[in-house]
Amino acid sequence: MSIQQLLNGVSLGSVYALIAVGFALVFNILKFSNFAHGGVMTLTAYIGLAASLFFSRWLSGLPLFGATLVSAALAGAIVGIVLERMAFRRIRNNNSPVIYYFISSITMGILMENIVTIFASSTFYSYPKFFELSVVELFHVNIALTDLLMLVFSSTALMILLWVLYRTKIGLAIRALSFDVNTANLMGMDSNRVVMATFIAAGILGGVAGVFLGINYTLYPQLGQLIVKGFIASVIGGLGSITGAMIGAVLLGVLEVTLISAVGAGIAPVFVFIIMLTFLLVRPRGIAGVIVQEKA
Amino acid sequence: MLVVENLHVSYGHIQALSGVSITVPQGSIVSIIGSNGAGKTTLLNTISGLVKQHQGGIKFKGQELGWVPHSIVQQGIVQVPEGRKIFAGLTVEENLLAGGYILRDPKHLRSNVNKMMELYPILGSRKHQQAGTLSGGEQQMLAVCRGLMSEPELILLDEPSLGLAPIIVKSIFDLIGQIRQQGITVLLVEQNAKKALALSDYAYVLENGHVTMEGKGRDLLCDPAVKRAYLGEKE
Repeated sequence: MSIQQLLNGVSLGSVYALIAVGFALVFNILKFSNFAHGGVMTLTAYIGLAASLFFSRWLSGLPLFGATLVSAALAGAIVGIVLERMAFRRIRNNNSPVIYYFISSITMGILMENIVTIFASSTFYSYPKFFELSVVELFHVNIALTDLLMLVFSSTALMILLWVLYRTKIGLAIRALSFDVNTANLMGMDSNRVVMATFIAAGILGGVAGVFLGINYTLYPQLGQLIVKGFIASVIGGLGSITGAMIGAVLLGVLEVTLISAVGAGIAPVFVFIIMLTFLLVRPRGIAGVIVQEKA
Repeated sequence: MLVVENLHVSYGHIQALSGVSITVPQGSIVSIIGSNGAGKTTLLNTISGLVKQHQGGIKFKGQELGWVPHSIVQQGIVQVPEGRKIFAGLTVEENLLAGGYILRDPKHLRSNVNKMMELYPILGSRKHQQAGTLSGGEQQMLAVCRGLMSEPELILLDEPSLGLAPIIVKSIFDLIGQIRQQGITVLLVEQNAKKALALSDYAYVLENGHVTMEGKGRDLLCDPAVKRAYLGEKE
């Protein structure tokens, strides 16, 4: 495998990491697979497109790109708040079974997808071209500029998230709540606020991921179904583990790029799913998933 | 300090507490003994706000208690839950920091962490270790220290001696004595009636959701009915 391919794989993987981590954050706390995250990505990708068209009157190049990302991230945060209030808070306060979360999340995902379809129709859109230059040469390797930016911005977003999780009070609360909600409450943590913060963080990651997916592929209402990539990455890395999700996502990106060049884009997903199933069968806790048990 | 009056709690059709009244004076150790399912944990969880549906009044320092757990913690009541419930995947230090979540000043928080580590050097030497790797006794110490982090006025201890070796049980009860000396009021729920009663100023016996007996700890210790039911002594 050439360095070229490795780089492409890593940059694709970094976007998958955004999806997987946004997914894992919510899984950690509420213990369910939040498929509404796909809807968040679709919605924010379109909002990002609208923002890029709006700002293109004044900006171009990197500033326009930045403005697009920031708008989508902000939109993601707001969608996260609305989602938590509308779809999950009541269920949580009633201590309802996990299946309710699951149904609610799928419903919200489909709802957001269809809201986009109503307002933007089901035609394909694409982001404006942000840069004149499309390929840069770095250490004798050609890399697409968008790939490079994807890598840089995704890693930055993930670094900021890790900093928040491991160095701030709200981060500690998010991690504490993921172990035991009641005990975290007994420590004076307001679970409503902490869960809200989690959804905001997931929404921001979803927004950034949405823009990158929109740039990488084209914009269509079913874009959010790429959440599956995040899910696969989470399973490979270890469901619920943030670092595991990142490792899994980068592996998945490299794997996909390699498979596409080896067996073609048509059959590559087959192998990806086979690998995921193998993981579920042989090592269901994933690469980084360590099961920490309390002593009874 | 804490006055619970005529408290009724039910889970669906099951009546867990029916008309429980207890009083916890400032600076004292009050214990509640009773068998499994008597409603001891329900009583503590209702005071802490984890059980929301209840009838009857709970007053703390003359004021109505809040409805949600985090505001009750801010009023100065902290519960150390049954079964330790430490955050297994967080480090020992992070567990302590989590306990002091309501403290706003980072320096204050840090000095409290250091205080706990001086109190139990083992916590200091293992501060970067995942809390789940500690032994049962160490976890219980950590759980109590975590509860003390936010400097409560009243601490609720739910079965702190559960499943621990006798020598560790002794050090837990020593710790409870120390807590009182610091001026913190203690409401203790225990199955280890002998030790609990010996340490308590006042005690209540809870059976099937009713307070069936109450009195000074020493008096209950000598009471024939308590001896029969909870201390395993034959007449």
